[in-house]
Amino acid sequence: MSYILAKSKDNAILEAGECGGAVTSIFKYLLDAGIVDGVLALHPEEDIYDGVPTFVTDSEDLISTAGSYHCAPTMVGDIITKYFSDKKIAVAVKPCDIRSIEELIKRHKIQRENIYTIGLNCGGTVSPMTGRKMIELFYDINPDDVVSEEIDKGQFIVELADGSEKGVKIHDLEKQGYGRRDNCQRCDVKIPRKANIACGNWGAEDGWTFIEINDEKGQELIDGAKSAGVLETKNPSKQSVEARSKVENIMIKMSKKVQESKFDDAEDMDAWKRCIGCYACRDICPICWCHENCELNKSYFKDELNIPPEPISFQGVRLSHMSFSCVDCGQCDDVCPMDIPISLIFDKLQKKYYNRTGYIAGVSDDIKPPLYSPDKIEL
Amino acid sequence: MFEIKHTLCPSCSVGCGINVILDNEEIVGTFPYKRHPVNEGKNCLNGRLSAENVTDRHPFDLKALNDAVNKLKSGSNEKTTVIFSGNNSNEDLEAIKSLCESNGFNILAYADNLKGFDSVASYEDIENASNIFVIGNILYENPLVGRRIVRAKNNGAKIYVNDNLENTPTSNIADEFTSVSVKEFIENNNIDEESVIIFNKVDSFEDLNLIESTNSNLLPVYSKSNTKGALNLVEAMSKEDAIELLNNTEILLIFNDDTVNEIDFDFKSISQIVVFSPSENDTTEIADIVIPVKSWLEYDGSFTNCEGLTQKFSSLCESDYMSITDIIEKINEGLE
Ligand SMILES: Cc1cc2nc3c(=O)[nH]c(=O)nc-3n(C[C@H](O)[C@H](O)[C@H](O)COP(=O)(O)OP(=O)(O)OC[C@H]3O[C@@H](n4cnc5c(N)ncnc54)[C@H](O)[C@@H]3O)c2cc1C
Ligand code: SF4
Ligand code: SF4
Ligand code: SF4
Ligand code: SF4
Repeated sequence: MSYILAKSKDNAILEAGECGGAVTSIFKYLLDAGIVDGVLALHPEEDIYDGVPTFVTDSEDLISTAGSYHCAPTMVGDIITKYFSDKKIAVAVKPCDIRSIEELIKRHKIQRENIYTIGLNCGGTVSPMTGRKMIELFYDINPDDVVSEEIDKGQFIVELADGSEKGVKIHDLEKQGYGRRDNCQRCDVKIPRKANIACGNWGAEDGWTFIEINDEKGQELIDGAKSAGVLETKNPSKQSVEARSKVENIMIKMSKKVQESKFDDAEDMDAWKRCIGCYACRDICPICWCHENCELNKSYFKDELNIPPEPISFQGVRLSHMSFSCVDCGQCDDVCPMDIPISLIFDKLQKKYYNRTGYIAGVSDDIKPPLYSPDKIEL
Repeated sequence: MFEIKHTLCPSCSVGCGINVILDNEEIVGTFPYKRHPVNEGKNCLNGRLSAENVTDRHPFDLKALNDAVNKLKSGSNEKTTVIFSGNNSNEDLEAIKSLCESNGFNILAYADNLKGFDSVASYEDIENASNIFVIGNILYENPLVGRRIVRAKNNGAKIYVNDNLENTPTSNIADEFTSVSVKEFIENNNIDEESVIIFNKVDSFEDLNLIESTNSNLLPVYSKSNTKGALNLVEAMSKEDAIELLNNTEILLIFNDDTVNEIDFDFKSISQIVVFSPSENDTTEIADIVIPVKSWLEYDGSFTNCEGLTQKFSSLCESDYMSITDIIEKINEGLE
């Protein structure tokens, strides 16, 4: 593992990029050198609150994907499984994305040699409509006037076209039910160290991207992009490395605190009584990949007349099949038409499992999650 | 080429957004549209299956269209009835309406015994209400309006539910649950002008007058994406009137609707049924002539949702078929 600061040598990318435009430049190198068939990144469809996954095959089009979209809680694990299993791709990944990819690699749904993973550190994402409402309410700004947003020093900061900025403490927003998604508030994997490289603004100087190189493939990416003339790098100071690690630890501590205060609520299962049995939570879950053969589709579980389903025979099945691999991505919460805080219990059980086995979903190096592994440990 | 494109859900009148995934211009799935103000990326199962449900159609056959036009020419206009369905876009409905008006065809707009109201409650009104009266299993049948009721409850609203089924998601969130007639439910409760009444079914057309007489905020939730748009153009019919009209019909034109599953009537008694449909269903099954048309994924248009919000959608893929508006132009040419 090593650290560098990097920035794009292309002015347009440097301008459009969130920090030093390093991520976009590395994508450009991979496309132009023909190393990948395409790049899976986000682009703002309607506006900055509407980040939609897009597959770029021509490096000229990368510019529209540059920048960080904090109001775009997307997930790429299942997209790669379903649509890109036969392609060589590079992909921008938040920690929850790479964790799901790791779990899917273990399940032979994604082939490691086919993907380059460019990690983005992540302090959390905000649901798009929550973000817009919160900007109206707490910033007194028309959300349509915002040109970019960032999370820095405990604040959610918005920038207007004239360059002016306004920030509000995330803690204050979250106390009132706004701010980051509930799962992000609990998320304690902030730097995607399973990706080939992890990029962020923590510890970076202005106009540079701080990169932690996680593996050999990551080193090759940096070396390749440099020799192709698209990236320049320098060494970060000791202080910036320390500063970065300090913020990371503070963020993790904050998340653990939220976990402690929220996990008890998972016992209160009242919300399941409004479950409409629509299976959106299962279908979106990147870890639940066996849809057609899902146990829940078997006749003995399928009970059309029994809506709401018995939690134990519906979520109970899912919990026993995959909660140990839950990566706390919150996609299940996001799509639930009934606003049931589904991820809370899955995340709680994964943490319980971690406490007994030391297995962190999508992070631990085990070849397989312990339950799947031949040498089962006695709990 | 992998693409994700925005569209609207065509499966009920809530007006949810949905993203469609295209792989090499073929629709392969749906994806949450989290930026959409109505549903924030949440869709029920019907919504998520809507894109898949566009089934293979027979190829377009000009002869079938000519046959239909000839039937119309030889038939009696007073005995020709057109089903005015909320499955169609506002633009197609305008074309259907003018076809009927210029030829003197009867228009049949049946909406599960519901009708249009000039002013309706908005979704925001629901979330801010203190007392909400719900008729039907809204959480299950129209989940993304149901969610607004859940949010209202979290804001402290009191929820009264009347439905014939117990232990449903809707009855389970009720502060008070009853299983009485709509008439009794309205008369027995203290419903004031500040209250919101949300309903997706009633026992009879008369119930609607009773509901209206409370002067509270009303939200009828229709089963089709653009019933509100349809009822902005023509008046809804009661079940009895619809059946009477069908009894006097010799030629029935059905534009994009599975009418046989909605009105309990012996459709075989009608001598000619011509169906214009983007998919095969029980109604195309009994039709004399079936003319395949574009699905909502293949043309530009707009739907007006039950709260009165008109939203546009765009064509997402190429199509070998004609839109209903184009077909009607051809029919008009043939009838001239
Ligand atoms: C939601 C979010 C939160 C972040 N929080 C932190 C943090 O707390 N601390 C920290 O050090 N760094 C954080 N980052 C990383 C940082 O903002 C930059 O993305 C990173 O430094 C790379 O900068 P760059 O200029 O090299 O990237 P760019 O060249 O601007 O490229 C960024 C790439 O990320 C993709 N992308 C943008 N938004 C998303 C998204 N929501 N999900 C997936 N991919 C996306 C873009 O499409 C683009 O390909 C966060 C990033 C995101 C997206
Ligand atoms: S779950 Fe973690 S990695 Fe994923 S968006 Fe939230 S904070 Fe970021
Ligand atoms: S259970 Fe929910 S939070 Fe956990 S991995 Fe699945 S979708 Fe993500
Ligand atoms: S998404 Fe929500 S309502 Fe649908 S099955 Fe899952 S928990 Fe139930
Ligand atoms: S509630 Fe209605 S509009 Fe929304 S997804 Fe379900 S069927 Fe579609």
